Formats: sequence, C-alpha cells, structure tokens
Amino acid sequence: MLEATNELGNVVLQEGTLTDGEAAAALAVGLAALGAGYAERGIGSAAVGAMAEDEDLFVNGLILTVLPETLVILALVVVFLV
Amino acid sequence: MSAVGSSNPEYVVARVRARRGSLYSDEEYRKLTRMSPSEIARFMEESTYEAEINALGSRHAGVDLIEYALNRNLAKQFEGILDWSEGGLYDLIARYLRKFDAWNVKTVIRGVYTGASQEEVEVDLIRAGEFDDRRIRRLLEADSIEAVVEVLEDTIYGAPLREAYAEYEETDVLVPLENAVDRVFYERLLGNLPGDEPTRQYEAFLKAEVDFRNADNALRLARSGAEIDPAEYFIEGGELFTRDTLARLARNLDELVEYIAESQYADELGPALRELEEADSLIAFEHATDAALLAYGDRLGTIHPVSVTPVISYILAKEREVENIRAIARGKEAGLPANEIEEELVIT
Repeated sequence: MLEATNELGNVVLQEGTLTDGEAAAALAVGLAALGAGYAERGIGSAAVGAMAEDEDLFVNGLILTVLPETLVILALVVVFLV
Repeated sequence: MSAVGSSNPEYVVARVRARRGSLYSDEEYRKLTRMSPSEIARFMEESTYEAEINALGSRHAGVDLIEYALNRNLAKQFEGILDWSEGGLYDLIARYLRKFDAWNVKTVIRGVYTGASQEEVEVDLIRAGEFDDRRIRRLLEADSIEAVVEVLEDTIYGAPLREAYAEYEETDVLVPLENAVDRVFYERLLGNLPGDEPTRQYEAFLKAEVDFRNADNALRLARSGAEIDPAEYFIEGGELFTRDTLARLARNLDELVEYIAESQYADELGPALRELEEADSLIAFEHATDAALLAYGDRLGTIHPVSVTPVISYILAKEREVENIRAIARGKEAGLPANEIEEELVIT
C-alpha cells in the first residue's frame, strides 16, 4: 500500500498537474490520514492483543492507538495556511 | 487460524509478550526446589496453571498431577498461538510446532506396536501441534499400524508413511516409520522459508538446534561405544555436520570435541567442552547446548520486535519452563536434595 502512495506522489509531482493550492492541501490531508490509518493498524492490533491478556491495559492501549491521529491534525494546519 | 491472508505479528507478539511476563523467574524456581510435589501443585494453582490443576486435581495427585497439568497447559498455550496467527506467520510457527504432531504420531505408532491401552497412549500425547482433536481421536482409535497410516493419509505424513509401511511389513521394526515421520518434519521445518531478515534469523536458530541435536547424539554414541551406525541418527538441515563427517567423528570422542570447539558455536559451548574433557560429564554438555539455545532464543526475540522471532522465543522459554518444573517435581519425588535439583535446571 505504501508503494502505491509513493507512486501517486510521483505522478502528481512530475506531471505538474497539481497547480491548484487548495487541491494540493486537500491531498496532503488525505495522505496524512492514510498514513495515520496505516500506523494505527499495527498499534491497534497489538493493543487488542495486550488487552486480551490483561484488561487493565485498555486505557493505555486506547491512548497509544489514537496517537497517530496527531498526524492528521498537524496536516490540517496546511488547509488554513493555503 | 490459517495460512491465508496477511500475517498479524503485532497481535500475536503483544499477547505472547504479556504471557512471557508470567513465566517463572529464578526466584520462583528456587522456592519450588524447596517444596514437596503437592506444594508445587498448590503453587502452580496460584499461577498460570490454575485451570489445568483444578480440572485434573480430582483425578490425579502428586507428580502425575503436575505432569499432566504441565502438558495440558503447554498444549493449550501453543494451540492458542496457532489460533491467533494468520498468513505467513502461521506457517512459520506451525513449522516448529509440528514437532508435537511428529511426537504424537510416533507415540501412537509405538503404543499400537506394544499393545498399550488407549488411555495409556492418550496421557502421553501433547496436543500442541496442527492436528485437531478429531484426528487425534481417530489416531487413538486406530487398532493397527495400517489404520494409523490410513488416518494420516491426507496429511503431510501420508505418502512417506505409506512407503515406510511397506518396509515395516517386511522387517517388523519401527525404525523406518519413525524415521519417515522425523524426516518429513525436518524437511518441512527448513524447506521453502521466505527470505526476509527476521526469517533468516529464525532459520539460523533452527539450524543451530539441528546442529546441537546432532552433536548431542554423536557425543552420546561416541561415549557409549555402541555399534550403531551414527548416520542413521543424522538429522538433515544443520550446518555443522554432514552425514559423512558425523559418521566419522562419532567414532572418536577427542576428534569430535575438537571439531565442535573449532566451529562457529565455540563461544557458546566452549566452557562446556572443557568440562567434558576434564570431568567426562555428558550431562553438562547437554545442559550447555540447551542453555545456549535458550540464550539464542532470548536474543532472537529482541532484534526484530515485530516478527515471528519473539513468538518462537516465547515458545522456547515456555517449553523450558515446563521441563524445569517437571525436573523439579521428578527430582523431589526421587528425594534429591534442593541443590542437586537446581543443577539440573536450565535457567538463563
């Protein structure tokens, strides 16, 4: 999946079709969300595994799982800068 | 659950790491060596073995209770690991756990051969491998070796066992059948491994295990001086020995020790080899190979944290724990003093 996003980036940049700033910002947010989702996939499944062994880990697991969300929030700043 | 789809090492590793934390520590082993068998059973009841001790407590007592509870817990934990894992991870773990299938098949065949009752065979099985309960039930119900071969027809052991059975019919010895099972297991263990870095580490570990097993066998044969062809006990897949070198070295203990001392395992096994030369103690060498494997396993689990290696590392540590507790219980039953039992344990 990561390879696919790389490819997409290459096409967009080389073809030079992306001249609209707002479209670029939207794409940036979208890609950041994609990255966050990918990161959460691994953390989430590890967190569920840990919770299955010890239920006290629920809070820690939840916090660690949503940490990559910060990526999306930071990317959202771009929208306001454009 | 199965070998399709992508692997999920994150989930399995998280669970396995949590379980690793509840394995017995040095301190607990020291306590155990000072207890009687029934106290050990009670101690186990307060830890991970609670369910098994409670389930078996009404039927067995003493060392038998400990033994069955250990086997059952081991089987439950390893079956759990196989249940959770998917895709490539499942394949890698199943390779190693199939050794319990091989053990079960050999036990059943031997049981049929000696005419042991179904219950006697059943308590010796460890249901930790890939076979499900239905297949094991059918294996237990088989009343001839041909029936056993038939039950296994659609497994990886099918074709080799069928061939070995023809040989068995001619000679009436079990060796060809048992060799066939072992050979399938080791072929599957090292064949077609995927080529990423964690898997290579895993492969190196498996090869070390095969090498150590060969070394143990060769030393035992060299020491006993029995007229057995060492090549018959040779296990394929290791790096240290080939069939010919093993056959040659097993005739001469000094040459064999020298050969191992100059190999890549010199660092791990060096002290044990010196002890072997001085005190002539084979047990010390076998403990050294076990401890070296365990240390290898521990190291293995930390290099690539999200891969198959921590899982294998846990499987090894768990097996070792079961063997240690069994050694303590058996030692206590035989009336050995605590410090002698402690020497028998393999703790890293």
